[in-house]
Amino acid sequence: MRLAVALIVCASCSLPEGDYFGQIPDVHDRPRTLRFCNQGEPDYLDPALGNTTNATPILFAMFDGLTLYAPDGSAEPSLATSWDIAPDMRTFTFHLRKEGRFSNGRAIDAYDFAYAFLRLLDPTTASPISDKLEFVKNYDGYTGNTVRKLLHDAGPLKAGAVVELVDASDKTPDTNLRRSTHALELRDLGAPIADAYAHVPAGADVELVELTGGPVSYPSPAGVEWAYVFWDDGDGHYGWVPSADLDVAPNDDATYSIRAMPMRQWPGVQATPEVLAADDAAPHPTVQVKGRDLLRLPELIGMRIPDRYTFVIETPVPIPYVVASTPSQCCRVTPREVVSRWPRRWTDASHIVTSGPMHLKLWLEKDRVELVRSPTFWNQKIVKADEVIVFNMDDQAANTNYYAAGGCDAMASNNIPTSYLPVMNGEKHSYKDFASKPYNGIYFVYLNTEKLTNRHLRRALAYAIDRRPIPRIIHKGYGTSQVTPGTRISDLSDADRATCGVTRDQPGFAMIEAPGVCYVPPPGLDFDPAKAKEELALARQELGADFPKLTYRYNSGSEGHKLIAEYLQQSWQQVLGLDVGLESQEWKTFVKDTTDGQYQMARFGNIGSIADTESDFIVLFHCKAPSNRSRYCSPEFEKVYAEAKQIFDRKARNAKLAEAEKIMLEDAPVIPLYVYTQEHLTKPYVRDLPINFVDQVPLYRAWLDPDWNK
Amino acid sequence: MLRLIVSRLAGGVAVIVAVATLAFFLLHAAPGGPFDAERALPENVRKNVEAHYHLDEPILSQYARYMGDLAHGDFGQSIKRVSTVSEIIRVHFPYSLAIGVSALAIAITFGLLMGVIAAWRRNTWLDYLLMSIALVGISIPSIVLGPLLVAYFSLQLGWLPPARIEGLSSYILPALVLGMIYMGTIARLSRGAMLEVLSQDFVRTARAKGLRERVVLWKHAARLGVVPVVTYLGPATATLISGSFVVEKIFGVPGLGSFFIESITNRDYPLLCGTLVFYVMFLVVLNIAVDIVHGILDPRIRERR
Repeated sequence: MRLAVALIVCASCSLPEGDYFGQIPDVHDRPRTLRFCNQGEPDYLDPALGNTTNATPILFAMFDGLTLYAPDGSAEPSLATSWDIAPDMRTFTFHLRKEGRFSNGRAIDAYDFAYAFLRLLDPTTASPISDKLEFVKNYDGYTGNTVRKLLHDAGPLKAGAVVELVDASDKTPDTNLRRSTHALELRDLGAPIADAYAHVPAGADVELVELTGGPVSYPSPAGVEWAYVFWDDGDGHYGWVPSADLDVAPNDDATYSIRAMPMRQWPGVQATPEVLAADDAAPHPTVQVKGRDLLRLPELIGMRIPDRYTFVIETPVPIPYVVASTPSQCCRVTPREVVSRWPRRWTDASHIVTSGPMHLKLWLEKDRVELVRSPTFWNQKIVKADEVIVFNMDDQAANTNYYAAGGCDAMASNNIPTSYLPVMNGEKHSYKDFASKPYNGIYFVYLNTEKLTNRHLRRALAYAIDRRPIPRIIHKGYGTSQVTPGTRISDLSDADRATCGVTRDQPGFAMIEAPGVCYVPPPGLDFDPAKAKEELALARQELGADFPKLTYRYNSGSEGHKLIAEYLQQSWQQVLGLDVGLESQEWKTFVKDTTDGQYQMARFGNIGSIADTESDFIVLFHCKAPSNRSRYCSPEFEKVYAEAKQIFDRKARNAKLAEAEKIMLEDAPVIPLYVYTQEHLTKPYVRDLPINFVDQVPLYRAWLDPDWNK
Repeated sequence: MLRLIVSRLAGGVAVIVAVATLAFFLLHAAPGGPFDAERALPENVRKNVEAHYHLDEPILSQYARYMGDLAHGDFGQSIKRVSTVSEIIRVHFPYSLAIGVSALAIAITFGLLMGVIAAWRRNTWLDYLLMSIALVGISIPSIVLGPLLVAYFSLQLGWLPPARIEGLSSYILPALVLGMIYMGTIARLSRGAMLEVLSQDFVRTARAKGLRERVVLWKHAARLGVVPVVTYLGPATATLISGSFVVEKIFGVPGLGSFFIESITNRDYPLLCGTLVFYVMFLVVLNIAVDIVHGILDPRIRERR
């Protein structure tokens, strides 16, 4: 449908003449106002909830973090001035600056980061993006509500031990459930009753979330312990009360089976890899305790606050990409005092308190978000825009037309209808404000290994696909043919080639993940009709009468998916003589069926949030990965993958990962098809709005040069 | 008349309950849920999120909760947005309404004018021309007409904004595109009705009395000629105002239509059920209004009842 529309648009009018697509408005009256056409409506403006590519450019302008995205997409210091990475890559110490301020004037310190972590992981937040922190200690236990702190000695276990509930289920009594015999007045920490903003009736259930005085919690005011609780009255309220007010703990006498967590999950505990491995192997006996002996507290999360301006992240295994992940939603600070009052509605323009370069002025859903420079942001020199208006129309043609008419100065990536692309960058015409760049995303075919159990058959299907024409099919005539993200080896600088340990004439791609760290993905099963036929013959031999009838599935609504499906069908027919049926499904049905394993072959894509193969692609084929739709579970791959995870040295680690990836690709649970590109339109007067590999655009750094053509 | 309205309202409530129930169960029966995504949620996270929206409860208790809230006029909380369904309707329906009403105004004004003139000058070049325009209006879908008008009036001439609502001029193109189909239909309906009316005795009498042709045409004949148009206007108004999804999308208008469509793809149960129930209420009220207008226009209908 969209194609038809675009064709008509292009056919009925002559395309904009000249070097640029559409009008170039005069911007003398607004050199510091950026008008940006987003891909669509953001879901949430709360860093613990918002996760669409429509939300992140806005979120990241409104909230400061340990680091921010630099123009090149990497992490650059912001609230953290510097960091130390322990040699075993399990402890990351961030040193914070003292100038950080929320827009209400309050100073930002390490406790705000502890709160950010708590908020993302605590089950009462119900954050769909908790996995941004999946690398910290007790991530599983905290989100799954199974990890507890032992408060009193029990058998062999000492008070303070980190334990897990054995056989926990939805019916397990809640250790953190509290009540009060009188009404509770929820307020800010240490505030008088008169300042309470929510009144919990006597006897109502509240959930104990945090206690003052812990290793990651505020000190107790005047030596009196306070508790931070959640009261679920519809939208809910959080707030502080003196702990003594919570005089009823209904499950104090309930019995729980517990055992010690492996030492590698204990926050604050450092040990050598050998000791940790020995502890993993040691028996952890089950002990019976009462509810009064257990609490879920934020100090169980892999973080520590040695002093007010130092924040430590701890991981159970060596993780190379912790710092690279810190500009994401995981580590952006939000104001507890505001979130507590309106847990879901605190981002309303009337309530919101921000911490980043820009402050929210207006949010009209499906139309626009208006941001203005935040005077309290500590680093004014990087903020070039006084105002950023983000238009959130869903329709690509509407966006592109709006841009052409001069309505917006720049467009988010991949916001141009596919059918416009040939004229944007075709043989006849190429507009100077159009750019197409590589993107950290990949399009591939999952082969369900539980349905297509025969390895030879999967390999035959993979060998039969020539990827070279695919960009031409979907981009109507331009684009590069690439199956792994990164830079073509022949295009690397000499220094980068040395880092990667490759020679100039070597085919394939490599990705520089950090200074001095390179990943060279294995080539995989490239187009080879002879081998494809060989493998098919072997498959027929082994399967005999059980040779399956094949179907390929894709989601409806996109012309590109259909064209690729038809191309694959044609390739399998021509090379292997196989009749493969095509099925298209509505998106949610498609997602559900493929997640449940009800398919043979299906298209999918994956966009990486950081330039790191390990965190984004290989993990999809790990046995227990939630997105492992090919249900691939190879002992050989798991072994090498687990070995790689234990290696501190990044060079050796990447080599091991490449080995694991090779094992996986040879088993063909996936056929990588092409690497996404990002298409942008940016008016020539826009300055400092870079395009980077991970597509993270720091909008607040942009400004307009009205005299661009002088 | 009062009895008619009361019985129609009672019927309307029954329809609303039936639609809400049907929508609820059909949507929950559809595969996939609000949190199924390309990158699957870890099991624990999924549980926490589903518990937050009570999606972990048995379907019947979810239904009871939903109908209970509905009875109190509470459409619930969107699963994928911060806003409540009522807020979304309150903020965004006016956009749909504004476009719908302007489209309706265009459709009625030009449609009736074309129909009456065509009937009056039947089988002349003017009749053929007007009916050809009507036919074109009916047959070109908005998905084609919209981009064509944008290409010409916005991108080529730069007269009107190509997208978004930024003032009154922004309503012109969407209203025109939306109104075209209805204008064509109204023109054809009113032409047919007028032809019939113009050949009746009372028109001949009026002419014989020496009344001016303009008075005969507009005061005597047109009043009866618009009856089929009014019948058509009831459902047409409802579709115009509730069915402008495509036009809203083409022009990036933040109307309720795009939320409705999005709620289906997102499996945002409360938002979908809420907007659906709202549209049904709207339709019920409009149908009652049409019955009343009918009565006023044509005494025969009023007496029959």
